[in-house]
Amino acid sequence: MIEAYIIHLLILIGIYVILAISLQLSLGFTGLLNLGHIAFFAIGAYTSALLTLNGVPFLIAFILAGIFAMASGFLLSLLTKKLKGDYLALATIAFTYVVYSVALNWTGLTRGPLGLPGISRPSIFGISFSSNLSFLILTLVILLISYLVIKKISTSPFGRVLEAIRDDELATKILGKNTFKMKSYALAISACFAGISGSLYAHYINYIDPSSFTLMQLIPILVIVIVGGLASLRGTIVATVVLILLPEALRFVGMPSSILGPMRQIIYAVILLLILLYRPKGFYGEVELE
Amino acid sequence: MSMNIFVQLLINSLIAGAIYSLVASGFSLIYATSKFIHFAHGATVAFSSYILYFFFSMVGLNFGFSVILSIIFAVLLGLAMNLFVFKQLRRKKTSSVILLIASFALMILLESLILLLFGADVKTIGYIKVQKGLEVFGGIITPLQIVIIVTSIVLLTALFVFMKKTKLGKAMRAVSDNKDVAEIIGISSEKIYSWAFVIGSAIAGIAGILISLEQNLTTTMGTGLMIKGFTGAIIGGIGSVPGAILGSFLLGLAENFGIWFLPSGYKDAIAFVLLFIFLLFRHQGILGIKKGGENE
Amino acid sequence: MERWSWNKMLKIKKLKKHFGGVRAVDGCNFQIQKGKITALIGPNGSGKTTVFNLISGVLKADSGKIIFNGQDITGKGVSEISNLGVSRLFQQARLFDNLTVRDNLKLAIEDKDTKFWKNLLKGNKLSEDKNERIRNVSELVGIIKLQNNLARNLSYGQKRLVGIARAMLNYHNILILDEPVAGVTPSLRKKISEILSKLRKEGETVLLVEHDMNFTLGLADRVVVIDEGKIIAEGTPKEIKHNPKVLKAYFGR
Repeated sequence: MIEAYIIHLLILIGIYVILAISLQLSLGFTGLLNLGHIAFFAIGAYTSALLTLNGVPFLIAFILAGIFAMASGFLLSLLTKKLKGDYLALATIAFTYVVYSVALNWTGLTRGPLGLPGISRPSIFGISFSSNLSFLILTLVILLISYLVIKKISTSPFGRVLEAIRDDELATKILGKNTFKMKSYALAISACFAGISGSLYAHYINYIDPSSFTLMQLIPILVIVIVGGLASLRGTIVATVVLILLPEALRFVGMPSSILGPMRQIIYAVILLLILLYRPKGFYGEVELE
Repeated sequence: MSMNIFVQLLINSLIAGAIYSLVASGFSLIYATSKFIHFAHGATVAFSSYILYFFFSMVGLNFGFSVILSIIFAVLLGLAMNLFVFKQLRRKKTSSVILLIASFALMILLESLILLLFGADVKTIGYIKVQKGLEVFGGIITPLQIVIIVTSIVLLTALFVFMKKTKLGKAMRAVSDNKDVAEIIGISSEKIYSWAFVIGSAIAGIAGILISLEQNLTTTMGTGLMIKGFTGAIIGGIGSVPGAILGSFLLGLAENFGIWFLPSGYKDAIAFVLLFIFLLFRHQGILGIKKGGENE
Repeated sequence: MERWSWNKMLKIKKLKKHFGGVRAVDGCNFQIQKGKITALIGPNGSGKTTVFNLISGVLKADSGKIIFNGQDITGKGVSEISNLGVSRLFQQARLFDNLTVRDNLKLAIEDKDTKFWKNLLKGNKLSEDKNERIRNVSELVGIIKLQNNLARNLSYGQKRLVGIARAMLNYHNILILDEPVAGVTPSLRKKISEILSKLRKEGETVLLVEHDMNFTLGLADRVVVIDEGKIIAEGTPKEIKHNPKVLKAYFGR
């Protein structure tokens, strides 16, 4: 029993780490005010779910989830090209709501509030990942690949330019770099990984509906990214483990499920406020927030 | 579309616009002075509604007292948020985006608290029982709805006069236009921020009371209203209180006439899409002035 | 195409930039010669920084032309102008605070770092001659010991030096320096003056804006004087020192 619970937590941690490190790429490394990250998660989840529900093999659906999310990342980057600061943040938030609205209202495609039940566990080249343990292994493999790719990007000269853009975009332009192109790439790749984490999520929970993809869902990831430290991949992983496990500890103190939900949000919100007020670098970060 | 339906839609637009503009004007006042997006303003509205519910429907206090208490609590909440969070962050010279994120966190905190304390079920404040609608030019409007529209007009006019004629109002506009110059001539910007929160939260409190009489209380009502509120503010021109009012009424019109043509589930989507469009193409809104340099 | 005299690197023709009612740059005409240090001077608010912003593309001119190396760069974007050979130093050094000094310099000299796939698949080590250039410039400027320091931990003077080094390492045909010695100690001012003299010896073209009269007149080959958005005088430092129009602009009124 306990074993199953631990595996479940590890899978959630795995999915959230991928989502969080993808946000690190755009927010932590490039300084993009990407508060619409949940929209990419949603696009990945729905794409993957709809494709597999219509007979497309998981691997293809998974890859397409990433590609669709990446394309929407490029799109958002293009749309918000001229926006800065508050307006950019607001526009990305609005993007989350637009995607949520589509999921809620385009009932012909997404079945609206009824959601999409019966999403199958992955099956790749005949190997079925339906047991939780095998799904965990799949998640960890994908996590490892994602981590390695994002780490490679961030430590390469390309990543250096992204960090330069975060620190001073004009100075970066003065050195001759095409910052718009760089920002688009950062957002698109960030969105791609969010999309594949969405796909994993859909195929783990086996049911998705619009309520999993509201702005509220951004809070845990945002807290993780800031608490762990901007531009620190290691910090992100530690923060994810801590922040997923912390509210679970409440379960053992006997807290009923109905209270658990809001309690979790309250804890996250308080932690975020405390970090902003007293330790804006987070715990592993070197980068000052703004 | 027949005349009756047109008038009804117009009336509905006015009611919605009145409510949104009460939310948007307080929010705009805070933005104009403190220069950041105070998400949690919606939570102030919701908070005031639930306090009213608590004192009137749960504790059984007199309605008038409950109303007064709600407004006081709303003001105290706004002041507390400013004093304990935003002022401290300002001390560290953080950017307005950090304040936005902090306000976002506060919103989550407050909404979750409401959920925790009051439960997820929908509540109603049974002060006004059944109302008979009055016929106006072919449309129907209830007395409460008339009160809402009239109250908002009165409050907003009072706000407008306040900003233009009173010393404090002018000081607020000075800080809004140019904080540094205002400080040089002796205006304390921190004091102005506090006042903006007081006035803005008071208006939010009144909005919360009116809304809770007209509609049900839900735990997510704060977020919902805030989005409508700042969509209205963006459409009209953020940082401009008249702009917020104009934008809110336009939003009310767009929503209500919009769902004549679209399925009603799209009502909220209309707001989001308008928000997105304005942010992309005219982020300064209808009355706003485009500021600042070009490539920097 | 303009008839191009080989030694005129930068030409400004009838440049105009208004901000609402303020005529920051109001019909400006001047030229910069190759291989010389030219100083743009003028009283406060005369439009110097605006001219720099226009040349480097930070601002777009309302009218007029900027011709660089025979090419019309009016209205082009910042990074495009930079890649054509204009390297600019800002008044505030604008370093990348969370990166090391070495990274700041690498960013200046590296030209393949915006290629995503190349960086992802092959990785990208800096070539030996680029490393050597960084070494040489760092030694000249005097920051060789600071390579691994985070930019935000540097002193004001050190930041300026890194800024100058960065401008030098950036591919350029002209260096545009916005107040290179503002607020620096006398010893640092001397050092920077030496650096600029060395650059001139190596045939570099420099355009600078400075308030410090002694620094400027002692260093520049040519001086252009701007007042209220218009050029009022051009010549050698000696000529400018005694030019009545210039004296009037600074002291008169």
